[in-house]
Amino acid sequence: MTPGSFQQVVIVAEHEFRKYLRGRRLLGMVILLALIVGLILGLPPALGVPYATTPNAFAATFANFTGVLVLLCGVLFAADALVSEHEKRTGYFLFPNPVRREAIVAGKLVASLAATALVLFLFYGAIAIAALAVTGAASWEIALSYGYALAYGTCVVGVAFLLSAVMRTTISATLLTFFLFFLIFTIVSGVLGATDIDPWFLPTSASGIIGNVLGPPTTAPGPGGGFFAYVPDVTTSLIVFGAYFLIGALAAVLIYARRELVS
Amino acid sequence: MTDLRTEIPLETRGLGKDYGDFAALRSLDLAIPEGTCFGYLGPNGAGKTTTIKIATDLLRPTRGKAFVFGVDVRREPRKALARVGTVIETPEFYGYLTPLETLAYAGRLRGMTRKDIAARSEDVLRTVKLEGWADRRIQKFSKGMKQRLAVAQALLNEPDLVILDEPTSGLDPRGMAEVREIIKGLKRAGHTVFMSSHLLGEVQEVCDDVALLNHGKLLVSGSVRDLSAAANGTVVVASFARPVSEEEVAWIAGQPGIADAVRERPDTLTLRVPGGDDARSRVLAVLVKRGLPVSAFRPEGSALEQLYMEHIKESERA
Repeated sequence: MTPGSFQQVVIVAEHEFRKYLRGRRLLGMVILLALIVGLILGLPPALGVPYATTPNAFAATFANFTGVLVLLCGVLFAADALVSEHEKRTGYFLFPNPVRREAIVAGKLVASLAATALVLFLFYGAIAIAALAVTGAASWEIALSYGYALAYGTCVVGVAFLLSAVMRTTISATLLTFFLFFLIFTIVSGVLGATDIDPWFLPTSASGIIGNVLGPPTTAPGPGGGFFAYVPDVTTSLIVFGAYFLIGALAAVLIYARRELVS
Repeated sequence: MTDLRTEIPLETRGLGKDYGDFAALRSLDLAIPEGTCFGYLGPNGAGKTTTIKIATDLLRPTRGKAFVFGVDVRREPRKALARVGTVIETPEFYGYLTPLETLAYAGRLRGMTRKDIAARSEDVLRTVKLEGWADRRIQKFSKGMKQRLAVAQALLNEPDLVILDEPTSGLDPRGMAEVREIIKGLKRAGHTVFMSSHLLGEVQEVCDDVALLNHGKLLVSGSVRDLSAAANGTVVVASFARPVSEEEVAWIAGQPGIADAVRERPDTLTLRVPGGDDARSRVLAVLVKRGLPVSAFRPEGSALEQLYMEHIKESERA
């Protein structure tokens, strides 16, 4: 008897997670994490710069890289999840099974979110341990920053899934996801900075809460001197993350369920 | 009371598929009887794969419907595909998995227990002669090996309906023969097989019924036996131990059971013989009785092939 849709979501998610493990994507991310942590811990003593003395200030140095890490998770774990079944023709094996396309998308989504959460957990775990070792204390703000990073990760994964459902090739979905968050949102934010419109609706602006919870906002470099990057309040930021995720994920499900396997 | 429609493994009603102005499939009405091996014939681009893709929910029809065991594929794909095994084109598999892991993934999605999956995986991999590769990663498999694995996964949960799109594509002659034997085995076991192909010999060897398609339109359908009998004869190449005279050619052409006789070489004639094996046997007997030294008597293509060519040419003219 065909299993229920929920059970099939779990089966697809397990399979996807195995893909990350076998494809060494997860391993790659862990190596990258180790590199970031190693550099942040190793460079100050090598250059004779003292560590920050409070756990929040210490953790804030790491949190500067959280946005990039989240984006890489979206690129590696989500951007090719749907499009690859068409491009690599594995859909001819998967889709004729008695499983709804919606369950396939949901399973892949669960796996992407789980992998992103795991990578961020390892990163923040390393931050907390390092903070404890260097400053002698950890803080709840570090855990809160992790929570915000998870919310931002959810948003990135949702958008990456939408692009994966729409695009024709893995490379286009991957590049578009990367440049959307790395470049396009930043450009829009920069342009809006010259007007009196606050870019509260941009997830990259909202992601500022990940670092802000650990300390006061810092200036970002800009023409004519530094400026304070606009960061909406926490509630607005979380709503923005949630909205991007929900719209992205739902649209991905709807589009992918109707997408035909033509080639 | 049993709904008779539920006994029909695969049925299409007014099925059509357009790509812009191009009609890949035009109002196809087809019903595949239970327990038969049904050959779906047509040249490349005829609409065979389009039909199969709609029947397996990979494509949406522009009009009409496809039913599997009475279930509308578009409306209830999970229910419709629960009793179906498919091989569509040459599917790709996840290179990081082994055949056993691939079969486990498919088996779990189809609701098989782990015990069943283990037992059946062993069986089907042995059937397609991949048992020695069960634990190797698929990424290094050849196209032929992937095709064998595709057949294996289609048979995994012993489906009532097996849909095969060009199942011998990419296989070497030995592999082709083995797949044909597998299909015959499925037929013997009472499974319904719907198989598309452009290889007439293959279809004639394994199928009971056929449908012929061209330009998305059904040209003819029926049992292989009936259609072969209805064909306008088999072409037979008859060779003789000496040159055949004009008078002898005229005499041969005038014999009952011979529709036409054309000299190809001084000692070789091409005869058109309506009917099947019996008719050809009678013609051979007539030639021998006349004292003609027949050194070879060989059908060139089957009656089905003849029928195929006639219908395709006719549809091209139309």
